[in-house]
Amino acid sequence: MSTKGAGVSLDRLSKEFGEKLALNEVSLEVEPGSFLVLLGPSGSGKTTLLRCLAGIERPSSGSISIDGRLVVGGKTFVAPDKRHLAMVFQDYALWPHLTVRKNVAFPLASTALAKSDREKRCDDLLERVGIGHLADRYPNQLSGGEQQRVALARALAADVGLILFDEPLSNLDADRREQLRIEIATLTREAGATAVYITHDQSEAFALADQIGVLNHGRLIQLDTPENIYAKPTNSFVARFTGVAGEFPVDVVRATAAGHHEVVLPFASGHVLRASTSNGALPDGKVSLFVRSVGVSLSAPANDEGIGGVIRDVAFNGHGYDHVVDVGDGFSLTKIFSNLRFDRGRNVKVCFEPSSCFVMDASREVPAT
Amino acid sequence: MALGTLELTPATSPPASGPKKRRTSLGGVLIWIVLTLLIIAPVMCFILLAVSPRIFSQGSQWFTFTFIRQAFAGYSGRAIFNSFWVATVVSLFAVAIATTIAWLVHRTNILGRRFWTIAMWLLLMMPTWMMTLGWTDLLQPFGAAKALGINTHFIYGEFFGPTGIIVVLIAAALPFAYFVVSAGLQGLGPEYEDAARIHGAGWRRTFQTILPIIAPAILSAFAISFAETLSDFGVAFTLGYHSHFPLATYTLFSAISNFPANFSVAAVIAAVLILMVIPPILLQSRVMRSRSYAVLSGRTRAPRRREFRPLARIVATLGVAFVFFVTLGVPILGAVVGSFVENLGIFSTTGIHWTLTYYSQVFHPNISGKALGAPLLLSNQLGFFVATGTGVLAVILARRLIASPGSWSQRITDIFLLGSVAIPGVVLGVGYIFFYNLPFITNNVANIYKTLPLLMLALIANAVPGQTRFMAGPVSQIQPSLAEAARVHGASRFRAWSATSLPLMSRVLLWGWLLTFTKTLSELAISQILYPPSQEPAPVAIQSYLSGFESGTGTAMTVLMLLEMLGVIVIALAIYRVATPKGWRRIGWTGAQT
Repeated sequence: MSTKGAGVSLDRLSKEFGEKLALNEVSLEVEPGSFLVLLGPSGSGKTTLLRCLAGIERPSSGSISIDGRLVVGGKTFVAPDKRHLAMVFQDYALWPHLTVRKNVAFPLASTALAKSDREKRCDDLLERVGIGHLADRYPNQLSGGEQQRVALARALAADVGLILFDEPLSNLDADRREQLRIEIATLTREAGATAVYITHDQSEAFALADQIGVLNHGRLIQLDTPENIYAKPTNSFVARFTGVAGEFPVDVVRATAAGHHEVVLPFASGHVLRASTSNGALPDGKVSLFVRSVGVSLSAPANDEGIGGVIRDVAFNGHGYDHVVDVGDGFSLTKIFSNLRFDRGRNVKVCFEPSSCFVMDASREVPAT
Repeated sequence: MALGTLELTPATSPPASGPKKRRTSLGGVLIWIVLTLLIIAPVMCFILLAVSPRIFSQGSQWFTFTFIRQAFAGYSGRAIFNSFWVATVVSLFAVAIATTIAWLVHRTNILGRRFWTIAMWLLLMMPTWMMTLGWTDLLQPFGAAKALGINTHFIYGEFFGPTGIIVVLIAAALPFAYFVVSAGLQGLGPEYEDAARIHGAGWRRTFQTILPIIAPAILSAFAISFAETLSDFGVAFTLGYHSHFPLATYTLFSAISNFPANFSVAAVIAAVLILMVIPPILLQSRVMRSRSYAVLSGRTRAPRRREFRPLARIVATLGVAFVFFVTLGVPILGAVVGSFVENLGIFSTTGIHWTLTYYSQVFHPNISGKALGAPLLLSNQLGFFVATGTGVLAVILARRLIASPGSWSQRITDIFLLGSVAIPGVVLGVGYIFFYNLPFITNNVANIYKTLPLLMLALIANAVPGQTRFMAGPVSQIQPSLAEAARVHGASRFRAWSATSLPLMSRVLLWGWLLTFTKTLSELAISQILYPPSQEPAPVAIQSYLSGFESGTGTAMTVLMLLEMLGVIVIALAIYRVATPKGWRRIGWTGAQT
């Protein structure tokens, strides 16, 4: 594989469907060879963005450049087949009248490769995705996971600089998702191609991405590394969508250092907690506290530190236990991990790690359109 | 998307924005120009006579409602009412029977499944004038049944009335409904059936559950059956006339052919026929608007068949066989026997006289220059060009129909096309005479009056609406992502269409082509009105025998023409089997189990 990844640039990209604004002035840059995951809920505009990149959808305004070449902008609109990219579809989009080998060979037809070279390349790719023995079957003779492997092999076949992934794992079971996720990450990076991958699954996004773009209501809310998205969400939506154990209204006591504040918890009267902030200065009065589950620990009630809570539910997750803890006044924390099992109804002490607690003033965020 | 484009792959067309809108309008304009020249202008010219006979020198009034009142009064008013209720009853029965047969053939293990599909094709290609000919030959006093030693006297009275008309028209509408529903069933994956079964539904409830899922196909079947029944001329001309049960198409014809001709009343009846198909169309479009039935994709799995127990299997098979015996067997039997009996319908003390004379006269006629060879060759040539032209146009229109479900443009196209199905051939033929003989047209557009190209255009115009509806269901089942995937992976628009959409549509295109070919071969009304002097198509030549004193020869010619149609179908299917890749033939293949 000799592909060099293609850089992608979007400038103020918008797309309207009648009255509905599906994309609202999205701008971003994707480095050549990097893996960008666009994360967002249904209706956030991620599929529209991907289809605009592919050329299946024409944006209402804005521009797109791929590998330095303007493909959308002004009067320019480059057809999908001239953009030199590949795509893995959510529904696989395998042609039912073609065998697996012919599906994979399809993108090679427009290349200068000799027939024997094409066949060898197809067979190699099918072997690499683990379905070499299914080359002569038809799509409806394959399982969902096998079909998606064919779609992946087809996307890799053309040796293009940009591969688009439209929620490729959403129709698969958990086990196959995990296997195929690893293969997508490995094979795409081996190919050297730039990848733009959309999903609504935050764990999938964190596992795959070099960069994550979080979309909501057609807007790009945050574009950053997975670590920063998790540790420094700039927006309450990002914090929520990437997983929080709890969200509480709190009063700010004072700012302690750059980016840190002390807040009063609503459910433990008088208890002051230190939390970070990443979306600017906070006003006096009520703000929102977001707590990541990774920053919460449980201990026996005899422990001096922490606030009191009662275990409402406990679930074994294979390597430990996830707990739901009632902390008083109707508030609770979810998915609190511990190696030890704390049974339902048991009193515990709950401790918070300040680096996993964020305070934000949601009222100052740009409202969704 | 791609509402107005002439592209065959809407998924590959650029999405909506400024430049695209311009292309869309251009495509839309081109399509509507073609449809205007083919259908709208000729028919409108004719219908204008309803209120303005003077415009084509057919009366003195520039504007009048007199003929509308005349059309709804007395005999013609009764004919319009009869046509409406008969078409409703026929369509309901045809869809119910066709859906049951389609389910039995495609989803169960009844015996002779392939044979029943072939039988349905035979039924489809049988013109209704031949059906009634067969029934009449069989049931008439001293007819074919008598020749076979069967007393049918007690049925005779029933047959020559509404009952007989309804039976023959159900037989004629059955294949239209069957093929539309079959296409829906074949593209429907097994998931819905599986889900119903898993959640406790028995076979009956599963069937009831699946039924609404293929509702668009069923409603399409109803709509096309209704329109075909309304526009049928053969039954109205023969059975309807003889049993004093007037139908609208016959009163329209008699208004034109009587002396003095009343073109304006005929025009009113034509307009009413077209308007009557709007209710079923609205019902269908209402259902289509809220649902997507794009189910044919690489993930579609072949359905499992219900395995009947031996007794149930035999009962179900006999049930289907009975339907085909009544609808197909009886008229064919009547016609075939009739073509071998010398004294058919004539009392004779010496019994039945069997003969081969009629077949000998087919190619060595008593009437000079009336052999079947040249007319049959001409009809085959017409059939080839008409079927090919219709196929291309129908695919384009079918894609327009499904491109933007629920939009005004789609609804107008839909209503227009189904309305056009209801245009009787005789209306179209007369419309062509008016329109293509206008000085403006002959001097500036095309001087093709009284030529074969005009006949060919009229036959295409007659076939396109039905053919488009025939293709719309299957075309709508192709997932857009299949063509999108081809475009994204480097295929041009043409290659994306030819490599993905064409193979998926190939079977439908083939059957569509065969359907148009066979229907053109036996088409009578337009051929009779528009054939150029000394260039008679086969149905016209046959009719001249049937209506004269050589009806036996005409019947023999009809039987031979049917055999030819069957031969063409067999050869075309054989070529398809040999010439296409295996994958093409797998679409809708029910043996693909994993």
